[in-house]
Amino acid sequence: MLSLTIAARFLRKSPAQSVLIVAGIAVGIGVQVFLGSLITSLQASLVDQTIGHSPQVMVQSSTDGQPVAYGPALKQTLTSQPAVTTVVPTRTFSAIYRQGQVSAPLELTGGQLDQLNTIYDISGRISAGKAQLGPGDVLVGKDFAAKNGLSPGSRLILVLPSGKPAGLMISGVFDFGSAAANLATAFVDGGYAAGVLGYTGDQYSAIDMQVHNVFDSKKVAAQLKTQPAVRGLKVSEWQSQNSDLLSALKSQSYSSYMIQFFVLVAVALGIASTLAISAVQKTRQIGILKAMGMEDRRSGRIFLWQAAILGLGGAAVGVGAGLALIGLFTYLGRNSSALFPIHPQVWFIALSFAVGVLVAMLSSLIPSRRTTKLDPIEVIQGG
Amino acid sequence: MAEQLLAAEDLGKTYGTTVQTVALSDVSFVLHTGEFAAVIGQSGSGKSTLLNLIGLLDTPTTGRVLLNGQDASATSRRQRAALRNELIGFVFQFHYLLPEFSVLENVLMPGRIAGASPAVLRPRAEEVLALLGLEGLESKGANDLSGGQKQRVAVARALMNRPALVLADEPTGNLDSENTKAVYELFRRLNSELGTAFLIVTHARAVAQQTDRILEVQDGRLLQDERNSHLEWEPAAAPAGEAVASTGAA
Repeated sequence: MLSLTIAARFLRKSPAQSVLIVAGIAVGIGVQVFLGSLITSLQASLVDQTIGHSPQVMVQSSTDGQPVAYGPALKQTLTSQPAVTTVVPTRTFSAIYRQGQVSAPLELTGGQLDQLNTIYDISGRISAGKAQLGPGDVLVGKDFAAKNGLSPGSRLILVLPSGKPAGLMISGVFDFGSAAANLATAFVDGGYAAGVLGYTGDQYSAIDMQVHNVFDSKKVAAQLKTQPAVRGLKVSEWQSQNSDLLSALKSQSYSSYMIQFFVLVAVALGIASTLAISAVQKTRQIGILKAMGMEDRRSGRIFLWQAAILGLGGAAVGVGAGLALIGLFTYLGRNSSALFPIHPQVWFIALSFAVGVLVAMLSSLIPSRRTTKLDPIEVIQGG
Repeated sequence: MAEQLLAAEDLGKTYGTTVQTVALSDVSFVLHTGEFAAVIGQSGSGKSTLLNLIGLLDTPTTGRVLLNGQDASATSRRQRAALRNELIGFVFQFHYLLPEFSVLENVLMPGRIAGASPAVLRPRAEEVLALLGLEGLESKGANDLSGGQKQRVAVARALMNRPALVLADEPTGNLDSENTKAVYELFRRLNSELGTAFLIVTHARAVAQQTDRILEVQDGRLLQDERNSHLEWEPAAAPAGEAVASTGAA
């Protein structure tokens, strides 16, 4: 490990230069960790807010308005998909809320509350009243309730698709964090919805599903289409229905990758130029080591070791700095609902650390190659 | 009779491709184990080029160098590096100590390059330092020494791997007359006590006359190869272009 010893001594002999390189790597990796975690968490937050509490894959009848028979074969097929986390059969119908001269459309979803919770988390998002869906109960959104002066215990008069009026009791008010959803969505008991739609016990409007990774929805939908029990049914998924959102998420990812890439390029150039200068500064020492019999490859390893030491140090400091920035961001946003929590991923931090070391090592290839090629006679003759 | 250690056979070195400069031409001689010899010549005569070629620091354009009977010129860079490490110790006009390392670490360096651990090498390094009167300086930084001390450390480093041959290129060029005398006396003592062959490049005939044999190079050619009759020590450098008194070619 003579090359390592020499590399460490070279670095110790030029402490200011070494600290500057470590700082350069640390800034790059710190930005990488912070920015990467920020964008990842922002996306996770956006995804969670937009589709996290919505069906991500849906199975419906291929004919509009017709029910799906959710029999044992279909149930077995859907629930046995490894990528699928939740399967909830729902019955959906539209109705018009009418109160005097005021009227507003409502999309009512019928189902069992415990099953609906696995997708919509209604119970966890109740802002007034209680989460209860007995026959004759209805849960409405915060904005709808506020706009129409309704509250838990109020009677909701609806005009059903058949034109008949119906009265339901508001048991609770939910807040989905989206004015659109809070204005137009409501939940009723599954049995009540079946009655409105004229469905039998195993007939549903749609079978709603969620998947482990929301971006796997296309793959899951394609796989479902091949299953015999699903044949003849329509399988849709969120990505093809939200191309704008998907495009925005992808653009955000690409811009984040670009920023991280150019930060790393800047770091790499900084390390390469500093190590190149160091290689020139140490030419005499390398030359005399070679005159004493040090092999070319072994001398080249001196700068690889230097880069490894600097890379490890810089990446470690950078990860620490990145986590500190995340901590500061979280602290500053602790009382703000506009900010979202950043959850740094261990794998991403490990990747950033490895990238830091790798970039440093790659940056040392030119000075290392130069050192390998150095002829001791160049130093001896140069005095 | 002593064994043949080194043989230069028709050594030549030409620099440049379009405009060629002949630095050395058709130089042949043999150096035996334990010899104490000097190469003299004026500046630009080719004596340092000769030293670099036989020290395997440079490759000849023509001819070859035999070390212990092996054609060193035909070996790879890696093999030449190993031969340098094993058989040759270098002392240059500039000490070339590594400023990042202590005196002891500098002396240990050839042994460490050979692959030995510092712990194994330390007794040998201390022995060499003691031989050169450098006891107590082991932990000092290379830059904390006087010029004479630095050059003695460079000599100690050259001796570390028990080389069969020490090549010294103007080893006292940066030293005053007192240190110059001390270094040459040291070389002579080491030659006598250790049996190490010395080939010393100098432009000073008075210095060369302290050796047993003088190889004189002029205009890239070996002009004379003479056995020396020792004179009294005269540290002053001989004037350039001094006439050479031949005592008979070897």
